[in-house]
Amino acid sequence: MPAVSEAPARSRRHQETRAGRGPVGALVQRAIRDGRVLTVVFTYLFLVYSFVQPVGYRRVYTTTASREEFARGFGSNPGLRLLYGEPHDVATVDGYTAWRVGGVLAIAAAAFGLLAAVRALRGEEEAGRAELTLAGIVSRRMAYLSAMAAIGAATVILWAAEFAGFAFGGLPIAGSAYLALATVLVIPVFAGAGAVASQLASTRRIALEIGSGAVALFFLLRVIADTVAGAGWLRWLTPLGWAEEMRPFAGPQPVVLLLPVAASALLLLVAARLGATRDIGSGLLPERAGGTSLRLLSSPTAQALRSQRDSLIAWAGSFAVFAFILGVVSSSVSSSGIPAGVDKQIAKLGAGSITSASGYLALIFFVYVLGISLFVCAQMGSARREEASQQLETLLALPVGRTGWLTGRLLLAAGGAVAIALLTGLLTWAGVVAGGTSVSLGQMLEAGANCLPVALLFLGIAALAYAAAPRASAAISYGLLVLSFLWQAVGALLGAPSWLAGLTPFGHVALVPAEPFRAVDAVVMIGIGVAAAAVGLAVFRRRDLIA
Amino acid sequence: MLLKAIQAEGLSKRYGETLALDSLDLSIEPGEVYGYLGPNGAGKTTTIRCLLGIHRPTSGRAELFGIDAWGDPVEAHRRVAYVAGEPFLWPAMTGAQTLEFLARLHGGTDRAYRDELVQRFDLDTSKKVRALSKGNRQKVQLVAALATRADLLVLDEPTSGLDPLMEMVFRDCVTAAKARGQAVFLSSHILSEVEAVCDRVGILKEGKLVDQGTLAELRHLSAQTMDVTFEGQPPELPPLPGVQAHQAGPNALRFEVTGSVGPVVTALAGHPVTALVSREPSLEEIFLHHYDGHASR
Repeated sequence: MPAVSEAPARSRRHQETRAGRGPVGALVQRAIRDGRVLTVVFTYLFLVYSFVQPVGYRRVYTTTASREEFARGFGSNPGLRLLYGEPHDVATVDGYTAWRVGGVLAIAAAAFGLLAAVRALRGEEEAGRAELTLAGIVSRRMAYLSAMAAIGAATVILWAAEFAGFAFGGLPIAGSAYLALATVLVIPVFAGAGAVASQLASTRRIALEIGSGAVALFFLLRVIADTVAGAGWLRWLTPLGWAEEMRPFAGPQPVVLLLPVAASALLLLVAARLGATRDIGSGLLPERAGGTSLRLLSSPTAQALRSQRDSLIAWAGSFAVFAFILGVVSSSVSSSGIPAGVDKQIAKLGAGSITSASGYLALIFFVYVLGISLFVCAQMGSARREEASQQLETLLALPVGRTGWLTGRLLLAAGGAVAIALLTGLLTWAGVVAGGTSVSLGQMLEAGANCLPVALLFLGIAALAYAAAPRASAAISYGLLVLSFLWQAVGALLGAPSWLAGLTPFGHVALVPAEPFRAVDAVVMIGIGVAAAAVGLAVFRRRDLIA
Repeated sequence: MLLKAIQAEGLSKRYGETLALDSLDLSIEPGEVYGYLGPNGAGKTTTIRCLLGIHRPTSGRAELFGIDAWGDPVEAHRRVAYVAGEPFLWPAMTGAQTLEFLARLHGGTDRAYRDELVQRFDLDTSKKVRALSKGNRQKVQLVAALATRADLLVLDEPTSGLDPLMEMVFRDCVTAAKARGQAVFLSSHILSEVEAVCDRVGILKEGKLVDQGTLAELRHLSAQTMDVTFEGQPPELPPLPGVQAHQAGPNALRFEVTGSVGPVVTALAGHPVTALVSREPSLEEIFLHHYDGHASR
């Protein structure tokens, strides 16, 4: 290699080329590219959700009188406060939109911040790439700030989407901008929480579990603050409550904006400090020792249960806590103070009947249907990770059949869903009883079991997606699930014809215990789920393993 | 005085209960190719992570060209390129995109030389990383590191997964790097590779450097082997200092000689010797010598 040996040990000339395209630019670009699917999905969600609410409200409540009646009926209803937070001035399109959007999109914003931060920080470290990046002319702070800058850029995009939704929905410009800001400022707070969790945990999964715990805790605080008399001050303790306290369109308090800004700055600083001195690739929490137990190693399914045990406990624990607390809250639901006729109108908003304790419980269980369906999608996601990380290749090189392996994972997911559903019914019953009212245990277990047909349907869909399009399977299964749920909510709000509303599985869920169990719908959904899973098994039998 | 490429003093690293690295002293000159030997789990990768400031030493310090690796990793890395033991790359990027990304992270890449390396390593840079085999992913890392022409190359088992042809290309590149004055820290357990390219060798055992020196020095300290064949029965020889003799066939003796072979030659004079083969210890024998106790445990 003649040309090579004559070159100087280090040629400055080549360093000067492409000036201005240094490591920071490259890192930020990389981080934005890595997060783009997540950003696009949430952008659609923010845009559509913020557009539909003002439009739907105008459609349902055409007169001032009906709006005032609506406002009187809702001011004190714990069922709706639970989902959407404390209402301010809901007799106007602006106030109503702020109420409906604020609570829901604030939770979506929290989820986005957490997912984005954990992916960019712990995800890169767990994949071993952070080590390579940091071996370049890149300091830890630079890598960290680049990741956070990408999340900042996504936050601006989501703000613009939400603002555009409101503006096209006919809301005033200034108020729309402020409302959108109130929502998206939740993102940096939970990105900060995700960043701290990424310093503590050694894997992405554990970091997400820590972060989800924080989101659930703050959601619960907000729920208690909004539904329990005298607990309103708790709202100041949760970032999800701050978004409410900014009161867009109803006496805005912009000074509250300082709270999320300060909290994000603090969390991001803490994460930077924690990350400055630790070993890259490991977390600050001590790794648990491997242990010596040789149980649950008899088959791939047993081993999967072993590896999923912590995750199953985390899911079941979250459902149990929520079920119990919301059960306690349900005892304060009553129909007093709600004018006749309003209850029917509420149904038009896709919220069912929430003026009685059983109607409220039915609404809560309707949300659990979504939760348990998310659980089964997560289980299939874990099966996919087993393939992507090439552990499955090792298994299948042994005398282990593909069909047996996937069937085992499906049974594990289904079994987990059944356990969570019944546990949720049981704990709701316990909560209601602890709250001082009575409800039959059998009815609560039935309400829990009523969550299963949709969950099993989505398990089948997720299995088919996994078999047919492994790399896109998470996007397909989660995407269809969220779309189905929103279809139900938005379809009812816009007054869609019943055949259109019936396209989503959520349109076939009976609101147990307020309505009787719909056996036919349940059997059909389970049947479709099983059929999809069977096709999935057949397809999986025939395809290549894909890393 | 010229700054050392690598200077480690009392470098120790503890992970919980495990002492992975035990007060390591290393000193590597610019332009020197240093082979870092040790079996799996001896602490080679831990050493490299501490040298690069990716893991924090429990005690001691590591300097690259006089800059503290933990205190100021960015400045320290300016003159260093690194190849990780496992080719963890971004699966959705093509080889070309990866090379561009890594070049921008490092800042000192010679793009013309990089293109030449891509050709020499026979790398298809249009494919996505996830479609590449382990060896090809390893080549992406190697090309990225070599193309920086950094003054110090830190290579952690760089040839794992490479085919013998590529292994030869790699050796040529290391030799060329040395000719240009680049220092190379080559962690490996492929002894032939270390023997072929390294000026000096360090042997790591359970976190401790148990032997270090040029190959000639290491050989000098170890026994060399002499196989002597006689006409008929081998004679009875008096015991010699530093020499172990044992029967190696009906007409042959094998001598393990530490130090000079002079006394053996003197003792053999006058006996009917038909053949005498003397052999220096291979690196493998030196290596196994240090690990014997370890392996049989």
